[in-house]
Amino acid sequence: MPLLECNGVDMRFGGLHALSDVSITAEAGAITGLIGPNGAGKTTLFNCITGMIDPTGGRIVVAGTDVTGIPPFKRARLGISRTFQRLELFTSLSVIENIRVAGTIRNRWSKDRSDVNDEAERIVDLIGIRHLASREVSEIPTGMARRVELGRALMTKPKLLLLDEPASGQDEAETEEFGNLLVQLAEQGTGILLVEHDVSLVMNVCTQISVLDFGVIIARGTPQEIQRNDAVIAAYLGEAPL
Amino acid sequence: MLGICLGSVYAIAATGLVVTYTTSGIFNFAHGAVGMISAMFYWQMRFGYHLPAPIAFVLTVGVFAPVVGVALDVVVMRGLRGTSEVTRLVIPIAVLLAVNGVATWIWFRDSNKAYLPQKFFGGSTVKIFGQAVFYHQLIGVGLSAIVAASLYVMLYRTRMGVTMRASVDDRSLLMLNGGRPDQASLVSWAIGSSLAGLAGVLLSPQLGALQVLALTLLVFDAYTAAIVGRLRNVPLVYVGAMGLGLSKLYWDWLSDAGQKWTALRSMRGALPAILLFVALLLLPQDRLRGAVVLRTRERFNVPTIKQAVIWGGVLIAAIAMLQALMSNSAVISLSNAMGLSLMALGLVLITGYAGEINLAAYTFAGVALIVAWQFDVGPGGKATRESLSVAAIVLAMAVCAVVGGLIALPALRLRGLYLGLATFAFAIIVNQLVLTQADTLKANIFGWKFDLNLMTGGTLTVPRPRWFGVDFATNQRAYLLLMTILFAIVGVCLIVLRRSGFGRMIVAMKDSPAACATLGMNVRGLKLAVFMLSSSIAGLGGLMWVAQQRTATGQGSFDVFAGLALFMIAVVGGIGYVSGALIAGIFLSVLSVVMPNIWLKLGTDYPSLHWLFVSVFGNFTKFVGPALVGIGLGKNPSGIAQQIMDGFRPLRKAPGAVAAMAAVGIGLWALAWRNVIGNWTFTLAFIVLIIGGSKLIMKMLPGRFVAERQALIGEDLDHLGLATRLAATDKDVFDAALGLPPIIKQDRPLHAAS
Repeated sequence: MPLLECNGVDMRFGGLHALSDVSITAEAGAITGLIGPNGAGKTTLFNCITGMIDPTGGRIVVAGTDVTGIPPFKRARLGISRTFQRLELFTSLSVIENIRVAGTIRNRWSKDRSDVNDEAERIVDLIGIRHLASREVSEIPTGMARRVELGRALMTKPKLLLLDEPASGQDEAETEEFGNLLVQLAEQGTGILLVEHDVSLVMNVCTQISVLDFGVIIARGTPQEIQRNDAVIAAYLGEAPL
Repeated sequence: MLGICLGSVYAIAATGLVVTYTTSGIFNFAHGAVGMISAMFYWQMRFGYHLPAPIAFVLTVGVFAPVVGVALDVVVMRGLRGTSEVTRLVIPIAVLLAVNGVATWIWFRDSNKAYLPQKFFGGSTVKIFGQAVFYHQLIGVGLSAIVAASLYVMLYRTRMGVTMRASVDDRSLLMLNGGRPDQASLVSWAIGSSLAGLAGVLLSPQLGALQVLALTLLVFDAYTAAIVGRLRNVPLVYVGAMGLGLSKLYWDWLSDAGQKWTALRSMRGALPAILLFVALLLLPQDRLRGAVVLRTRERFNVPTIKQAVIWGGVLIAAIAMLQALMSNSAVISLSNAMGLSLMALGLVLITGYAGEINLAAYTFAGVALIVAWQFDVGPGGKATRESLSVAAIVLAMAVCAVVGGLIALPALRLRGLYLGLATFAFAIIVNQLVLTQADTLKANIFGWKFDLNLMTGGTLTVPRPRWFGVDFATNQRAYLLLMTILFAIVGVCLIVLRRSGFGRMIVAMKDSPAACATLGMNVRGLKLAVFMLSSSIAGLGGLMWVAQQRTATGQGSFDVFAGLALFMIAVVGGIGYVSGALIAGIFLSVLSVVMPNIWLKLGTDYPSLHWLFVSVFGNFTKFVGPALVGIGLGKNPSGIAQQIMDGFRPLRKAPGAVAAMAAVGIGLWALAWRNVIGNWTFTLAFIVLIIGGSKLIMKMLPGRFVAERQALIGEDLDHLGLATRLAATDKDVFDAALGLPPIIKQDRPLHAAS
């Protein structure tokens, strides 16, 4: 059974049909890519999965539980965590406090409680931001801020991690290092749904990829299959002129 | 028919509010005040200067009110770009208080003078469907229709209307396309104020005699209609306005229908606030808000617990030393300030830490007063005591927490402006239904009959505590110290809370509720807890403040606008800081009590300048001063506490010099205490010591303050030495910018070397 199942998800904003009958799955212990041009509906789908908005149609099932219509915090308690395309850090707190507060929140709802400080220190080392731990989040570069968001999400020990353009703002070496980290997390059993514009990162780390265009899934398959798919090429590069 | 007439005028007022909100994003809390002062201006033109009604009307609605709107936009509102929701709410509150102050100053200095409004055409009527309707009311209906049609044409059929709507969507994009958002903003504020003025003139005859607060609240009633239209949908605003007008009329009819419903009559004043509260609760659920703080200018630092304890001790010691120099009346003023500061601490938690808005702080003071009085003194209480018991205080705090929770429970889904309005509506409801009800209410609930007398005769006298063998009732100085100690304890507790995991959760909720929810936080549960805790702190502070006053009247002590003033000044002081609450209490007390007394004394001492000191300076300080302080917030949204801390923070690098300054300060105090120097000399010398001393230290030890010099110069390093002569110490600034170790010793001036 897949960790995440989106069945026929539909989302309309007035006259705009942002998502049309979108069905995708994500497996535990694997990285699933979700790519598409700007405005394709990737972040809208993330918002539907995490409950930030309620889809106008379809069902979302996580680990066998239908989460459609339940509030975001209850979905998080079922093991869904995410990062944001537009950074949502707690700017009144330092880097380490951003990570600690996630542990504090988790300890209030989870039976499996852990020492927040120890866990935060472990996560800081894991995501490679030890040198920034005491800095204010508003002072650090965007690429590193995205890592802080990842660290914060990891503090909730998620089963399913939704990452919305986590590599943007990181240079080539950092992106490669980041890709290795994602693979490591997946090997530990976390299911990852990755939205990313860095195609090489997606091709290197994902086992399955779905492609969204104008709110419709136009292709799904392995990285190699997606690279050869004509519909995907047309969506990204446009149709060849006659 | 009469309900529709009334609703039409409400629609005019509400539409004006919507116009300014949709084009500037600012909810003009001062809309009612603009309506009020326009009505006063009309009265002055029409009945003061005996101008014909049409001329007075055109001068008011076509000239005076639009000029007020333009002035508000240019002088005040434009400074609010990039500030938080709290700041954008506080500044219009400051404007409201300023306009009310100016009106009081101009027209109500002599409290015996009555201003009697009259309807158009001398109150003549015409029969419509068998019902007598005033021409005045028909004019209201006609003007309302004209306003609706004109606004529709302007917003949807003219270039200016498109510009106004576009400036809301994307101001920068509008400018890139050649639009002029500032001009659109100017026009919208002129129109909004003109409509407020029109509504003020049309509504004013409802009052027997014009009064500042009553008139302001009369226009404020229209806010309900604006909320029904969600502050943007004009047709819905009209529906809301008609509903409001009809409700008021039906309410009157119901309460006059027979003895059975007479109790409803006393609720008439609270009806619009009740409807506003209900309208807010029925608003569709907002989506979870993302981070907004990144884009705002407010920043608050958090002291360590050790620092908080030290500063708490310094405060207690400073107050203990100061009171020894002060006269009895000055001690009373300072005690008043400390009580207000204690009350403002509740706002630090709810607004400073959690980012939520509560405009009902004084209401909790009133609730705490009633509970403590009933428990300790009243007929339903234990017995008539002469001392405020700990049990009464704890009970009052607990009841405030429960009441705060009950208010917050339905309002939890609201945020920002809407939550602020909901708490303000709650303040009006409690004020009208409980705090100003002097009469005994004979209740009959399912056969259980009892008399409820919450505010006996409208006035309650609360005893002060008698603890540790000290009678705080007779020893005013001891009571001041008690409140200072309480302030320090609650302040330190707040900082401990802020530094705890719970505190981090509260701040995280303020920064990004959306991110919190994705981490599994039940944002509503946390908000409820914070509301309850802050309400109980406000209750404690309010109770101590009332006990300082000894007597409280429902009408005077818990005025809803006083709650607005406290909120405004707390934000000005620095809502994210405990010290901000202290500054707020002192400011409010100084501006409303101490300064007017000083001007009065000067006026008495120098009779030839009495008019200047008392009539001009005294009234200005009392009526307009607090509001002007609030308006200044736009320039420094983090508040005065932040500004002071930023100014003195560098001195931590020179502890020896600071210790020397402190020693000089204590020496000055000792001289004043032994009457070697007078209090005024001490005050002036102390101010010179604090301001001049810090500058002197920074000048004498330049090597230690390189970073501060660099911060002063900012990013303009390239121009260093060009605009001004290069100083020897500027080399340190370059070194710091390049990451080189600073050179402490300088053999010769830099320009000589070059």
